[in-house]
Amino acid sequence: MQAEAHRLHRWSWIFIAAGTLRALIVPAIAAIFASGGVLLWRPELLSLLLIVPAGVFGFIRQWVYNYRFADGALVVRDGLLTRNVRQIPYERIHNIALVRNPLHRALGVATVRIETAVGGHPEALLRVLSLEAAEELRRHALSEGRPDAAAEDAALVETPDSELVRLGLISNRGLLVVAAVVGVLTQVDWWRNWLTDQDWLRFYETARDRGPGWLRQLVESGSITSKVLLGVLVFVLFFGLLRLLSIVWYLVRYRGFALRREHDDLRAEYGLLPRVSSVIPVHRIQLVTVTASLLHRWFDRESIEVETAGTSEEESGLTQQLGASGIKLNRQWLAPIVHSERSAGLIRQIMPEVDLEAVDWRPIEARAVGRIVRRVLLVVVPVTLVLTAVLTFAPIPVHGLHGLWLPGVVLPSAWLITRRWVRNAGWALTDEAIFFRSGWPGHQTSVVRFVNVQTASMRQSPFDRRSGMATLTVDTAGAGTIGHRVQIPYLDAGVAAQTLHRLYAECRATDFCW
Amino acid sequence: MDDHEPTSESEETEVEAAEVEAAEVEATEGPAPPAPPPIADGEEHLVDPRSVHVVRLIAVPLTLAIPLLPVVALTLVWALAGLLTVVYLSLLAALLLLAGLGVFIAYRFPAVRHRHLRYRVDPDGLRIQRGVFWRKTIYISVTRVQHTDVSQGPLQRRYGLATLTVHTAGIESASIALSGLEHDVATRLSEHLRPRRARNAG
Repeated sequence: MQAEAHRLHRWSWIFIAAGTLRALIVPAIAAIFASGGVLLWRPELLSLLLIVPAGVFGFIRQWVYNYRFADGALVVRDGLLTRNVRQIPYERIHNIALVRNPLHRALGVATVRIETAVGGHPEALLRVLSLEAAEELRRHALSEGRPDAAAEDAALVETPDSELVRLGLISNRGLLVVAAVVGVLTQVDWWRNWLTDQDWLRFYETARDRGPGWLRQLVESGSITSKVLLGVLVFVLFFGLLRLLSIVWYLVRYRGFALRREHDDLRAEYGLLPRVSSVIPVHRIQLVTVTASLLHRWFDRESIEVETAGTSEEESGLTQQLGASGIKLNRQWLAPIVHSERSAGLIRQIMPEVDLEAVDWRPIEARAVGRIVRRVLLVVVPVTLVLTAVLTFAPIPVHGLHGLWLPGVVLPSAWLITRRWVRNAGWALTDEAIFFRSGWPGHQTSVVRFVNVQTASMRQSPFDRRSGMATLTVDTAGAGTIGHRVQIPYLDAGVAAQTLHRLYAECRATDFCW
Repeated sequence: MDDHEPTSESEETEVEAAEVEAAEVEATEGPAPPAPPPIADGEEHLVDPRSVHVVRLIAVPLTLAIPLLPVVALTLVWALAGLLTVVYLSLLAALLLLAGLGVFIAYRFPAVRHRHLRYRVDPDGLRIQRGVFWRKTIYISVTRVQHTDVSQGPLQRRYGLATLTVHTAGIESASIALSGLEHDVATRLSEHLRPRRARNAG
């Protein structure tokens, strides 16, 4: 039986053309530069070269592209000269994500990404469908894959703006925004020239003359107190600005974050522009990480992230595009910010086998403190010797013994911090998962279910062997080695070996499925 | 904690199955030589000792080649630009001493490393231990194997050796190589580790 073929939305060519133009933007800029700017004053030439071909390409693509719901698979047909028919089995579809920017919203359409376990790029990219068609596609593909699933609509997480403001205050995102802007600006010549061409002295003088009187006094008095005050003022202003940027970033990116149950899976929707809607298949969650930094703890909040396998950060057109706009494909928020009391319950709701509150935490070896402090000692002692020698023999009126302040301050604080760190680190095994918690003053907790353990390994450095310790590492499929994961240092070697064997047994008894 | 140990009974049946499988492979290849011992014997093994030669054959010439450039440069400076013969000779001696030490290590270390590389195969997976100073033990369950490769370099081919690479879906353990196995052992091991489902899951 041949199922009915569906076409793309009638405005698709605009989006296809826009995509093509975006891909051409670098060559276009290069062409403008190469022509010495002539092209910039000849818009008709530019449009003839770029926009018309892109539009034509868009029309052709829209005309030839279609998809249909066959039995068991989504069939996507593409290509004018080289016909390409791709069959995507419903059960293989991990995620159907809708991406919408303001233009999409104005026209009531969405770009639909169909993702499978094949890493790197979406299996199919439907640019664009009407919302109804997208919904139909989602219903077809996801319900055929999981026939007896019932939809539930209650939101598990809803993040109001006030929480996003808190998240902005907690996070360092503002610094990243500034870094990105500075990075781009230093690469652009005309901006650099503009910066150096400015008469900064006059700018400063104007600002000083027009500014309030107290500020002027502060700047001109030249006393130490006023300099310190000025420094503090600049510092506060700078960090205030960073936090403000951070808040704005989160409000734009995660506006109206909501996590809902959808069949057996979860669907997260968030963002002002673009509005993103993506499915997190619960059984494909490889790793759960709960973060509570010092700032999180001041606000009594936590963040929950999950790593899902299937899409990797390899560079393909769309991943890059999404990556640049800050959407993490692999590590995604389960809840960007949630009250500490709710986080364990939320994880339990989603994965009943992972209960952070019922975990029997076991400590790592307390002897680790001595080892870490000795390592600090190894650095501090030579530095102190050099410092003392320099202070003694340099022609400055400072006594050499002042060099001893360094170990006097560093060693006790290192000892105190390490002791807290070791005491706060912990790990646990339940019947279904392995847990690891570390960090001080902020801390992170990661959980891997046994089903998701790929390999378990144990490492011993020569120092580990001397003190009878080992590091246990649990490897999973997922985003990568950046970020917190289950890697437990300073375990008793015997305990590590035993745990390793247990993990191996659990692996043998279970199947890993994507 | 130890109730997940495989019972000896299931181990036996699995070993038998492996034997039968091996016998079948033999049968298709014509006249059967005496059946090789089962691969999943649960014992610790070293890789083939001839792998030490393979490593030495690469490492020793390489180590010799490294000081060659400074020696030639030094000689040129001495001969053309003028350099005190005493200085030249002492520098040369130092370089040669260094080279000698390098060669000694390049010759000795592969044997030491070979002693510290052990693998154990059981019906459900593989354990590899390696590292002289920094030691690592890794367990790979058959249920997590994505695919396996057996590869042979030209030197390995000369000695009938091979490298087995096991791929998992992990990040750090995406590919785990075990080199210096006898080619036949590597092939059988790769057969044994062919991806399959957990036994109790059907």
